[in-house]
Amino acid sequence: MKKTQAKTILSAKDISKTFISPEGKPFTVLDNINLELHEGEIVALLGRSGSGKSTLLRTLLGLVEPSAGEVRYRDQRVRGPMPGMALVFQSFALFPWLTVQQNVELGLEAMGVPAAERRPRALQAIDLIGLDGFESAFPKELSGGMRQRVGFARALVTNPDILFMDEPFSALDVLTSETLRSELLELWMEQKIPTKAILIVTHNIEEAALMADRILILSANPGRVRAEIAVPCPRLNDRDHPAFKELVEQIYRIMTTPVATPLTSPAVPAEPRSIGYRLPAATIEALEGLIDRVASGPDYGREDLPRLAAEMQLEIDDLFPLADATELLKLAVVKEGDIQLTAQGRLFAEGDTEARKRLFAVLLSEQVPLVAHIVRVLETRPGGRAPEDRFLRELEDYMSTEDANAVLATAIDWGRYAELFEYDYNAGILSREIAIPAA
Amino acid sequence: MFPTPESVRPRRPFSRWDFLVIPGIVVLLVLLDIGFKGAAVPFGPGTPNLTVNLNPANLPYYGLRTLLRMAVALLCSLTFTFVYATVAARVPRAERVMIPILDFLQSLPILGFLTATTTIFLGLFRGNLLGLEAVSIFAIFTSQVWNMTFSFYASLTTQPKELQEAAIALRLSPWQRFWKLDVPYAMPGLVWNTMMSVSGGWFFVVASEVISVTGRDQSQFLPGVGSYVGLAIQQADVRAMVYAGITVLLLVLFYDQLFFRPLVAWSEKFKLELSEGKDVPQSWVLTALQRARFAGRLARLPVPLWEWLWLKTATGSRPGKPQKPRSDSRTELALNQGFNLLLAVGSAVLLLALGLFLFGPGLGVQGGQILGANPNLNRDFSPQVAQQFGALGVKVGPTRAVWLSQVCPLAGPQLEKLLEATVGPFNLATACQRRVVPPGKVALGEIPHVFKLGLFTALRVTVLVFLVMLFWIPVGVWIGLRPRVAQWVQPLAQFAAAFPANLLFPVFVVFIVHFKLNPEFWTAPLMVLGTQWYVTFNIIAGATSLPSDLKEVAQVTHLKGWNWWRRLVLPGIFPAFVTGGITATGNSWNTSIVAEVVSWGSTTLTATGLGAYIAHWSTGEFNPHVGLGVLVMGLWVLAYNRLIWRPLYRLAEEKYRLG
Repeated sequence: MKKTQAKTILSAKDISKTFISPEGKPFTVLDNINLELHEGEIVALLGRSGSGKSTLLRTLLGLVEPSAGEVRYRDQRVRGPMPGMALVFQSFALFPWLTVQQNVELGLEAMGVPAAERRPRALQAIDLIGLDGFESAFPKELSGGMRQRVGFARALVTNPDILFMDEPFSALDVLTSETLRSELLELWMEQKIPTKAILIVTHNIEEAALMADRILILSANPGRVRAEIAVPCPRLNDRDHPAFKELVEQIYRIMTTPVATPLTSPAVPAEPRSIGYRLPAATIEALEGLIDRVASGPDYGREDLPRLAAEMQLEIDDLFPLADATELLKLAVVKEGDIQLTAQGRLFAEGDTEARKRLFAVLLSEQVPLVAHIVRVLETRPGGRAPEDRFLRELEDYMSTEDANAVLATAIDWGRYAELFEYDYNAGILSREIAIPAA
Repeated sequence: MFPTPESVRPRRPFSRWDFLVIPGIVVLLVLLDIGFKGAAVPFGPGTPNLTVNLNPANLPYYGLRTLLRMAVALLCSLTFTFVYATVAARVPRAERVMIPILDFLQSLPILGFLTATTTIFLGLFRGNLLGLEAVSIFAIFTSQVWNMTFSFYASLTTQPKELQEAAIALRLSPWQRFWKLDVPYAMPGLVWNTMMSVSGGWFFVVASEVISVTGRDQSQFLPGVGSYVGLAIQQADVRAMVYAGITVLLLVLFYDQLFFRPLVAWSEKFKLELSEGKDVPQSWVLTALQRARFAGRLARLPVPLWEWLWLKTATGSRPGKPQKPRSDSRTELALNQGFNLLLAVGSAVLLLALGLFLFGPGLGVQGGQILGANPNLNRDFSPQVAQQFGALGVKVGPTRAVWLSQVCPLAGPQLEKLLEATVGPFNLATACQRRVVPPGKVALGEIPHVFKLGLFTALRVTVLVFLVMLFWIPVGVWIGLRPRVAQWVQPLAQFAAAFPANLLFPVFVVFIVHFKLNPEFWTAPLMVLGTQWYVTFNIIAGATSLPSDLKEVAQVTHLKGWNWWRRLVLPGIFPAFVTGGITATGNSWNTSIVAEVVSWGSTTLTATGLGAYIAHWSTGEFNPHVGLGVLVMGLWVLAYNRLIWRPLYRLAEEKYRLG
């Protein structure tokens, strides 16, 4: 580590966060996380959805209290947002009834800055972020990029010590986010802002690689720090630079390697053989699209994930669930940042709709215990019907209600496609597929 | 950026809009002064009975007084809303008590409250007319406040997560957060509900300005449009009714233009849409207020005080508060359990107190025997009959009720004769054999009867709302699908909702009497006369907002006739239908108190029902019978909403929501 001599601004010690479900079951979102933020560095928190990266950011900021462990900011225990902290939101979180200037002044008002001083400081921040001329505009009059500029101005006007950013560019289009990012980095590198450290949460691998001095990769369910990468040459402004490409490859490799579940946490059923396995949220069309693309690619049946992501414009939150699904169904093997179709995967790619459905049905019953369980229950029931709530209850033994809903929805979606069972949305009833006699 | 022409032009202290706004403010102040002077006059046992004069020249003054009452009630409602909803939403555990209470209070019939409050307010403002004013204002307040509070509470609990987080991350103090986030976010809903409330309030203005006071033989007529109408009905004066109707129309138009239009136009900016809307409401008053320069300067005078308060409450350099306290800690659990215990004890005590009030000591049971009813032998609370009984030594209550138990000890031939004359054939000896509850209390045996009366009212409400819907759904859809027509029908429907339907009741009375119709059924339309409009404009709004792509699909696929209704329109307007239905039935229940007993001159028509029961027992003092009636009606409304509307509402939310 290069920066060990730099002063530590923020430190988290053994942070855990557990939520209690309405049924009183605890679910661990963050598990025993330790990290430090030093002066003069940008740290990126990278993780898939469900890795608790946003929760971690909110815990560090003091928005959310940790269930265990403590966060310290400049030798003070953090028990709420501190005066030297500011947050930039993914969804901007602007107050629509306030003008740009009023929005920016809000942070100063909370600090008790008198009106005479507020005005010039707000104008200064607005100028700095390139919004001059829009002081009296309402957020609804602005484009997405301009709105996020207001978000930045509102955060920077208080001269924060630490700037927290929660996926600040992910709601913007590619060009806009590129512009905003480089402008922010310029302010940072030329030290036009007094901010000492930046913590950015992102699910965009390239963004992390472009901005950070250090990248922390979180694993999901529960969120843990899985790897820490010190970027050798930070802020390369060149995507074709070999060092940059190598860094991106390295991140992909880490993120596609399965985590070995330590035996010490029995609450987390990670083995795919249980019905509580968290099915990745992948839709059938996207799955078919991915397999078709891999099968028809130049390296027949094998593809580099970073290249796929760039080509198909997929964020990792879209790509990884798809890759996971293909792997779960044994349609492909994902390893070292590559995806490789299996024999079944090729069969699937070559088949017509009917053949695909048949193959999918077989793979589902074999590889996805939840679907197999549903089919079994429906077969034993007289009339072949069962309410979805029944399965939801079972899933809730393994995960939160919200996750259970998502997992069951995926299972139902897959099962319907494979024509293993039918589902009545209004009644919430699953039933055995009844063959419709040909008219 | 280039300087805008506006900023280069020399600033003058006045703009031409000031010539409109400043006189307007002066006139408003003078009117306020006149109104308040009239309200704060002495009123005591020695003052003559209050009355109004049917000369139409008085109507402007009466209108002013009525409007003032409504304005004060609105201010009270707003204050109550802010405090109550904020505490319920922000103080941990508070909502578990406060929201059910609100829900129950909302289902209680408003006019039942009137008798409960008369005594309190007259005592509070001893010797001043303000006491009676307060009674009327309180009645209007209770008609407005619940849905405003619910609307604000709903906004507080459905705030977007990111704005809440922004408020915390920016370390806004509770005071700052309230004015920067809570109130602005709630504004559109609050303004809409306030308008609805004020419209509904008119109905109760008419019913609440004529107040019966204990110890006076005649009802007191507070100067106002409502009591003007009341007197006109008593004297069967058609011309006065017409004048009153015109006055109400003008008043509604007046405050709509001067108050609600600008409010709606202004609250437009608080809508959370992050894109610019097309049809933005306009208001000339708002434009005038915003452009009047001198008046604007006057309005900015209190700004330094506000700013001082603003900075005083600021968090400064202290850390902010995190989102939620830890909910899994042991102290929290213990607190929860303690709270539950307190709640259980509190409700038990409350129930006992209620029982004692309704049924007397022993809760309607004595010596293991259920006590019988103690009827009032002066059925109509007539002063003459009361006097006759009094002359024979019977103790007569302040509300002129003659209780059986007071009569029994004095049984004699004279008394039997009097009973024969006033009540009809009556066997005093057998009636006196049974042990009865103390005077004024309710016997347990009367409860099923009151529930049965509730059933009649429920039937009337259901059938009538159903009929109204049968009529308004086709008409409303027809209007809603034609934007040109909808544009001017929609405000008319809202206007009609504001017009107090009790002004039209006499027409029905004359009609029913003339055709010798059965009042049991034919008074029922009165209950929906005013409330049907909620159905109307909800259906129109629902039909207007049917997505055009769905309409086009229907056209392309030649969806026609019943299929067009079944597949497109009915599912499409279902949420609007449910919203309208809930409001309409809720208000119809309330209306039943005035709609089941209607009169015109000396004719009075009564329908059997819970509303008539409450109206009958409302004699100027809150008594156990009114209490029972109000309680049972509250239970009926709660059950009605839980069993019928809530499932439908859920269905609408889950299945039929468009977009």
